[in-house]
Amino acid sequence: MLHIKPILSSLMRSKSAPILLLLQIILSVAIVANASFIIHERLTMMQRSSGLMEEQILSFNVYNFDPAIDNIQQNIIDQQILRGLPNVIHASSTNMMPLSGSGWMDRYVDNADEEIAESMPGFALYLGNEHLLNVMGAKLIEGRNFRPEEINTQLDQSGMVAMVSQPLAKAFWGDESPVGKTMYQGKQTIEIIGVIEKLQGAWVNHENFEYSVIQNIDFGGGLKNKTYMVRALPEHIPALEEAIVKAFHAENPNRVIDGFSSLLDMKKESYSNHRLMATLLSMMVILLLLITALGLTGMVMFNIQRRTKQIGTRRALGAKKRDIVHYFMVENYLICIVGGLIGGLLSLQLGQQLMSLYSLPMLPITYPIAAIVGLLVVTTLAVIMPAMKAAKISPAMATRSV
Amino acid sequence: MFLYYCDLAWRSIKKTPMLSMLMVLAISIGIGITITTLNVYKTMSYNPAEKRSDQINSIQLWSQGLDTWDEYQSNITYKDVVNLRNNNELSVKAASYRTGLAMQSDNQDIEPVLESVRVTDRDFFTIFEVPFLYGDRWGKSVDSHPAYQVVIGEKLNQTFFDGQNSVGKTIYLNRKPYQVVGVIKDWNPQPKYYDPLNGAFNDAEEIFIPFSLTEQEEFDVWGNTSGWKFEPMLTHQDRLNSEKTWIQFWTFLETPEQKSQLQSWLGRYVEEQRSFGRYTDTAKSPQESAQISDVALWLENNDVVPRDNKILVGLSVLFLSVCLVNILGLLLTKFLKRAPEVGVRRAIGASRAQIFSQYMVEVGIIGFIGGIVGLLWAWGALSILHAEFSMKQSVTGLDASMWFITPLIAISTAIIAGIYPAWVVCRTKPSVYLKAQ
Repeated sequence: MLHIKPILSSLMRSKSAPILLLLQIILSVAIVANASFIIHERLTMMQRSSGLMEEQILSFNVYNFDPAIDNIQQNIIDQQILRGLPNVIHASSTNMMPLSGSGWMDRYVDNADEEIAESMPGFALYLGNEHLLNVMGAKLIEGRNFRPEEINTQLDQSGMVAMVSQPLAKAFWGDESPVGKTMYQGKQTIEIIGVIEKLQGAWVNHENFEYSVIQNIDFGGGLKNKTYMVRALPEHIPALEEAIVKAFHAENPNRVIDGFSSLLDMKKESYSNHRLMATLLSMMVILLLLITALGLTGMVMFNIQRRTKQIGTRRALGAKKRDIVHYFMVENYLICIVGGLIGGLLSLQLGQQLMSLYSLPMLPITYPIAAIVGLLVVTTLAVIMPAMKAAKISPAMATRSV
Repeated sequence: MFLYYCDLAWRSIKKTPMLSMLMVLAISIGIGITITTLNVYKTMSYNPAEKRSDQINSIQLWSQGLDTWDEYQSNITYKDVVNLRNNNELSVKAASYRTGLAMQSDNQDIEPVLESVRVTDRDFFTIFEVPFLYGDRWGKSVDSHPAYQVVIGEKLNQTFFDGQNSVGKTIYLNRKPYQVVGVIKDWNPQPKYYDPLNGAFNDAEEIFIPFSLTEQEEFDVWGNTSGWKFEPMLTHQDRLNSEKTWIQFWTFLETPEQKSQLQSWLGRYVEEQRSFGRYTDTAKSPQESAQISDVALWLENNDVVPRDNKILVGLSVLFLSVCLVNILGLLLTKFLKRAPEVGVRRAIGASRAQIFSQYMVEVGIIGFIGGIVGLLWAWGALSILHAEFSMKQSVTGLDASMWFITPLIAISTAIIAGIYPAWVVCRTKPSVYLKAQ
C-alpha cells in the first residue's frame, strides 16, 4: 500500500535536495524544541501569583530633605494624612516593595548562641505596622496580625514579633507550626506570631523569591527617604497621585515626593526581560516554521514539475489521483521522520549544552517530540497543495511528448 | 562584464518572482533576527574604557569569614577603603558610591529635585576621563580635608543656571550650601561601567561630591550593601565600622609592573589585617585574598551581558543557518530548472567560470536585497523592543557598525548557500540538453 521501496530508491537517485531538507528539519527540531521549552519556562514564571491585590496597590517615595524634620514624628503624621484622604482604603509605611527589584534580605537564627544556631534561608524582610498586611491584601492563614500597641519605630527596640510566609515556614519548620517560636538576630529576639499564605520578595529571579517576613516596625526611623504603600480601587489611583502630593506639600513643603508606581507596573517591569525572551523566541519559532513550510512548498513544486512525465505515465498506467498524493506525502514524511529523530537527539544535546552553560533546567523529552509532531503537521500543510495539483495532471498532457 | 552579469541576474530574478521573493524573505528574516540579537549583545558587551581597559582597575577583597560568601564581592568595606585611600603606593585612586540628595539653588522658582549623587574622590574624573565644560575637579586637599564643593553635569547646569558658567556659584544639597567648582560636559558611558551594580544601563549621576564628606554627612547609600554576619546597623557609625561591603574602589595602573606591585602590597595588607582579627577565611592565602579587575573582567564579573542574550545570539545563529539551508535548497531548485539554458550557453562557448560567476552575482544580489530588508526588520524589531519592553535607547539604537556588517553577513550567507548550486549547474554537459531541445 505505502510503496516505500520505490520512493526510497527515487530519493537515493537525486540525493542533494532530500539531504538539504533533512538538514533543515534536523536544525528546526533542535531550535524549536529548546526555544519552546524556554518559552514555557518563562511563561510559567510570569504567571506566578504574587498573592497581593496587585491592581489596587500604589507606592511612592517621600524624601524629607529638611534637617529640621523629626523623621519619626513626620512618618506618623504622613500616614494620618494618607488615611484621611478620600478613596484611600488602607495605607502603611514600608521599607521595600514586592516585585520592585530592590529591597532588604535577611535571615534569622534559631538560637542565641551563634555556635550552635541554625540559620533560616534568606528572606525578604518587610518592615511595617498593623496596616501593612491589609494594604497588601495578603492572606493570614495562621496566627494573628500585629496589634497597634506592638508597633516599634526602631530596629533596636525590644518586643519584636514577625509574620512569616508559608513557603518559608515550610522550608524551615516543615509541617510544624512556627507560631509561638522564638528566633534570634544577634541578641534581639523575635517571636513568630503568624503565617501569611503568600508574599513574594523583590527579585523575581531570586531562588528565595517566595520567602518573606514582616516585622513590626513602622519604618520611619532616622531615614529621610521613606516609602509608603496605599491601597485604593483602581479607578481612584490616577487621581490619588495629585492629591497625595498636594496634601504632603501643604503639611511641609521641604520634601520631594516622587516615584509613584502601581504594583502592577512594578510587576510588569520586573518580568519584562522574561516577557522579552518569550516574545523573541516565539517569533523565532513561528518564523522558523513559516520558512520551513515555504521552503518545502517551493521544493515540492519543483519536484513535481520535474516529474510531470513520470506522474502522467503512472496515471496512464492506472494510478489513482489518491496514489499520486500518497506518493508525495510518504516521500516527505520519510524525510521528516528521519530528520525529526536526528533533530530530536540534537535538541537533547543542545539542551545539555544550555543546561551546563547557563544552568537552565533539563530539556524534557516531550519538547522534541512535540517539535517533531509540529513539523509533521507543517510538512503535511506544505506538501498537500502541490501534491493535489500534481494529481490533477492528466495522463494525456504528460505523455504527449513521449 | 560585472554590470552585464548584474543585468542578467536581475532578469533571472524577475523571471521567477515567487521563488526569488521566497529567498529574499528567508534570508531577510534570518538576517533580521541575527542582527537584532547581535546588536543588543554588542551594545551590552561594549567596553567603554576601550584602550584604557587594562589600566583602569577595581579592587575586590576577600574580607569575609569562613563558610560565608563563595565569590568576591564587587564592593569593599569602609575600613578597607580608608586604608587603601591612605596607601601612598597608589598614586591614582578613587573610592565611589551612590547616594541621593535634594537639590535646590538660589533660584526659588525651581522646585527642589531629588537627584542621584556620586560620592567620590577627585581622581575619579582622571580615571574615567570625565570631560569638563567649565572649571575643574576639586583640589587635592579636599580629598583629605572635607569641603562642601561639587561638580555638576551640563543638564543640571542648564536647568539651574541657564547653561551659564556656574563655577563659584552655590547649590544646596539637603539645604546645605555647596560651591560649584566644575561643570562636566554631557557624560553618560553605556554600560555604566564605573558602577554597573544598580543597573548597568542607568544614566550617569549629574552631581559629584567629595568622598571625604562621608563621615560627617552620613549620606544614605543608594546601592547594594551586603553583609556576611549579623551586625546591627542602627547608626551611620555602625555602617562605617561594619564588615559590610558597599563601596567601589578604582585605581589607574599605567604598567603591568604597577599591577603586580599592587598585588603584592595587597597581600601584605591582608596579612596585616589578619593580625587584627579580620579576614578570617584563611582558606585563601593572603596573596589570593585580593583581586584586581580591569574593566573587561569587571564587566564580565558583574554580568553586564545577561545570559539570556548569549542564548539568543546562539539560537539566532542557528536560525540563520536554517535559512541558509533553506536558500540552498531553493537555489538548487531554481538553477537546475535552468540547466537547459546553461547547456545552450555552454555550447555557444561560455566557459564554466563565466557561468559560475554569473550565478554568484545573481546570488549576491539576492543576498544584498535580503540584507537591506533584514536591516529594516532589525530596525523595526529594535524599535519594538525600545517601546514595548522599556529597554534603553542606548541598547536598542542600531549600532553604526551594523550598517556595514549586515550586508556583509547577508551577501556572504547567500554566497555560501549559492556555491554548491552554481557549481552543480556549471558542470552541466551541453550535449545532454542540446539533445533534448
